[in-house]
Amino acid sequence: MAIDVADERVEQAETTLYRRPRLTYGFWSWITTADHKKIGMMYGYTAFFFFIAGGIEALLLRIQLAGPEGAFLSAAEYNGLFTTHAVTMIFLFVMPISAAFFNYLLPLMIGARDVAFPRMNAVSFWIFLFGGIFIYSSLIFGTSPPPVGGNLPGGAIEPSLLGSIPNSGWFIYAPNSGATYSPGTSIDYAVLGLQILGVASLISAVNFIVTILNMRAKGMRLLRMPVFVWMTLVVALLLLFSLPIIAIALFMLTFDRLFGTLFFVAEAGGDPILWQHLFWLFGHPEVYILILPAMGIVSETLPVFSKKPLFGYPAVVFAGAAIAFLGFGVWAHHMFSSGIPTVAQAAFGLSTMTIAIPTGIKIFNWLGTVWGGRVRLNTPMLFSLGFVALFVIGGLSGVTHAVVPSDWQQTDTYYIVAHFHYVLFGGAIFGLFAGIYYWFPKVTGRMLGEGMGKTHFWLMFIGMNLTFGPMHWLGLQGMVRRTWVYPEEAGLGAGNFVVTVGAFVIALGVLVFMINWVYSKRRGVPAPNDPWDARTLEWTMPSPTPEYNFAVEPTVTSLDDFWYQKYGEDEEGRAVRKPEADQVVDDLIYRNGHPDQEIHLPAPSYFPFFVGLGIMVIAYGIMYHTRPFGIPLLVTGAFLTVGALIAWGSEPLEEVHHDDHHDGPEDGPEAAETEPAMTDGAAG
Amino acid sequence: MAELVGGHGEGAGHHQVTGIDSRKLGMWVFLSSEFLFFGALINNYLLFKGRDFGPGALYPVELYDIPFTSISSFVLLMSSLTMVLAHSALARGDQYQTRTWLFATAFLGVVFVSGQFFEFGEFILHGLKLNINPAASAFYLLTGFHGFHVIIGVLMLMVLGFKSMRTGGLSEAEGLNVELVGLYWHFVDIIWIVIFVLVYLIQ
Amino acid sequence: MAEGAQHHHPQPRQYVQIALVLAVLTAAEVALFYLEDGVEEIGQTLTVPALLILSALKFYLVVAMFMHLRFEKPLLSRFFTSGAVLAGALYLITLATLGAVILF
Repeated sequence: MAIDVADERVEQAETTLYRRPRLTYGFWSWITTADHKKIGMMYGYTAFFFFIAGGIEALLLRIQLAGPEGAFLSAAEYNGLFTTHAVTMIFLFVMPISAAFFNYLLPLMIGARDVAFPRMNAVSFWIFLFGGIFIYSSLIFGTSPPPVGGNLPGGAIEPSLLGSIPNSGWFIYAPNSGATYSPGTSIDYAVLGLQILGVASLISAVNFIVTILNMRAKGMRLLRMPVFVWMTLVVALLLLFSLPIIAIALFMLTFDRLFGTLFFVAEAGGDPILWQHLFWLFGHPEVYILILPAMGIVSETLPVFSKKPLFGYPAVVFAGAAIAFLGFGVWAHHMFSSGIPTVAQAAFGLSTMTIAIPTGIKIFNWLGTVWGGRVRLNTPMLFSLGFVALFVIGGLSGVTHAVVPSDWQQTDTYYIVAHFHYVLFGGAIFGLFAGIYYWFPKVTGRMLGEGMGKTHFWLMFIGMNLTFGPMHWLGLQGMVRRTWVYPEEAGLGAGNFVVTVGAFVIALGVLVFMINWVYSKRRGVPAPNDPWDARTLEWTMPSPTPEYNFAVEPTVTSLDDFWYQKYGEDEEGRAVRKPEADQVVDDLIYRNGHPDQEIHLPAPSYFPFFVGLGIMVIAYGIMYHTRPFGIPLLVTGAFLTVGALIAWGSEPLEEVHHDDHHDGPEDGPEAAETEPAMTDGAAG
Repeated sequence: MAELVGGHGEGAGHHQVTGIDSRKLGMWVFLSSEFLFFGALINNYLLFKGRDFGPGALYPVELYDIPFTSISSFVLLMSSLTMVLAHSALARGDQYQTRTWLFATAFLGVVFVSGQFFEFGEFILHGLKLNINPAASAFYLLTGFHGFHVIIGVLMLMVLGFKSMRTGGLSEAEGLNVELVGLYWHFVDIIWIVIFVLVYLIQ
Repeated sequence: MAEGAQHHHPQPRQYVQIALVLAVLTAAEVALFYLEDGVEEIGQTLTVPALLILSALKFYLVVAMFMHLRFEKPLLSRFFTSGAVLAGALYLITLATLGAVILF
């Protein structure tokens, strides 16, 4: 993964304890980087790797369910696979790939050189990566013996590789997840692993909030920010306020499982419903954390490919914020069948319905954007339109859950599975693919192939509807979630077979995408600097993005500033490209590619990597604290983490200087800032 | 914790659109999320303290030693005073007083945590173990996590204190760290103000 | 936002005065606690709100004066209040739904 960076010089402060790493290419440059673009790419690659893993898990599940009385997987393996599929797709794919977009694009879109805290950005990534490795290490180290007193009929667990992964569902409901019913370590892997991922997300949430509020270019007021940036801000706020809740819930479960507390043990007066509350207090904001980035992406692509400004920009922004705010007040709709009081059911039913209002506002604004536009059906546009169509279906089935009696019928059936896959696969993943096709030229300097791109789209679109469409009917006919077999007499065989075929069509689509990626990255058509005739600041730079982002810090005078430099209006209010537009673009890109002064970039650092590693070692230590090697592991991890933080705190604050012209020595050293060795540790 | 990238010489304010230092803004943003963290713990305790765990069940409230806890609460409250005095001394450029007050704050924090250890020890001697009932579990988790935050704070104060012993003392940039650690410290204090009333005094 | 200026922070003397007020408030809290035990007529209906008000005052004094929130830009108060209010609201509803607090 070498990256070709032009001449880079690192200047070394003279009286320092440590040398900061200075490599700009090769393996160590990626380990030590603090560059938001490299970090974004690492997030993207890692997330995609997990996407493949989660996809394979889904295919195995579908092979098992293709016909009645399937015998491909055991019950234990099935439980492990559906749990890990969900955990992977939510926490290890959609969230990190959104983080990849945030990282790469956020500074570019607001006209900044990097995020507010570059090294903390790196630490988020490493903690995330080691958290993911931790969860997946349960494949090797995890155990899921049957509970004392034996399994339910059919649940006999023979030792198997796939039977050792977390098997509690991604929601880890008590009391099933407690030590009594789930002995062994596989649940601990999920619980501690999610805790680690939470730390990573919390750090990046703080980072993004500060970056957006504090690092905007001159003239970029809040209501001049691209919608994608707005959605990033909203997602970061959701993370900020929801992660501490799940952190506590996971701590409680950890203590229940490892140290004998009784929070969720009903026999001892504990309260399993409390787990549901705490989980969904986080879990519902979480679903908006998953979907809002995709909404931000299509709010960027739809106007570009319709050659119009976004219809109703303020409405789209406020609707996004309203979804987030309301999203905190609807959690109990996941619990209608758990026996919560009637008044609460009515209240949460109503609050859930209100979410449809801002969501509808967004959809109408997107339609209004496309309406009357000069629509170009490039691959990013196809995925964006696919997003709108599929999300509407998922949104409508979602509203049906707000009707309490109807929800009682749907709970734990495939109807629910159909609903959330329409919003998360048809919604989030289509939006994210739109983003990948749209920004690929910016990142790599080449276009992703259109032919293969369109094939990919149609395979995914058809496959997605074949997979998740029939699930609506299957669910309403009584097909239950999370069971590994269904009887022949139930008459669900035909529908399930179609679903399985659909899953493989999706897989084929993803395969086409991967081939397209590999081919285009090497041999793709070189991308023009502004290939889509876009509106946002990242397109005023050469592609691929220079190491230093903007050579000249941009100044913004309106929303969609770049667009209005290129386009005016005719007497009917239609957008007309100005005659001087090409010249404007060329000038901007030339200026941004040719710095006339030294540019200071955040210096790389070794320590974020070791903080992430140390946290993972601590988690192993906690999990195995009763074994002889447990406490030594814990101590080692703690020393590694604290040591890395202290070293981080006393690291010289030198910067990489990027200068093409290099006219003369620099005036004086930068004020030597030293940073606190601060462990915001326990929190979240 | 933070570099201000690109802030080369001219217009340092440009990179801080809000006019608030990024690190300070980050600390406040982080602290506002901590409400949800401690809120969940308090929520657990309030839920379980009223539950009936059968005849003979032992509740934390039966063992509270209010005079003792009042004194340790007072100690933590006064550590907020010494903290703010440290910050104020640094603003005047008085390195000696800064150091004194930093260590005084850390000392008071240690006294508070020792009190908590003592209290836990007493409770356990009286049979209130972590795993005796959910109310006990919730009590220990809440006060334990608060104590853990105090310990983290003490460590950060010590680091700053020792740094100030170098020749020249704390630099201007490190001065911001005193403010940041101070914010964290006061926050841990206000959480205790809430815990003291909701958990100890209102029974 | 009195004066708004960053440089109008209180002086050590004022900090000590604030700490004295905080100490008195804490003493009042503890006194109320014993009053509730000793005098039956007062009971929890009166002491509980009084304790909540006293602790809210302490909370406010530390945040506004020691953490300087009174002298900072409103953005910081907005974040801080959002966190506090959100936590209060969410957990109050949770406790009500679980039957530990009676709201409706």
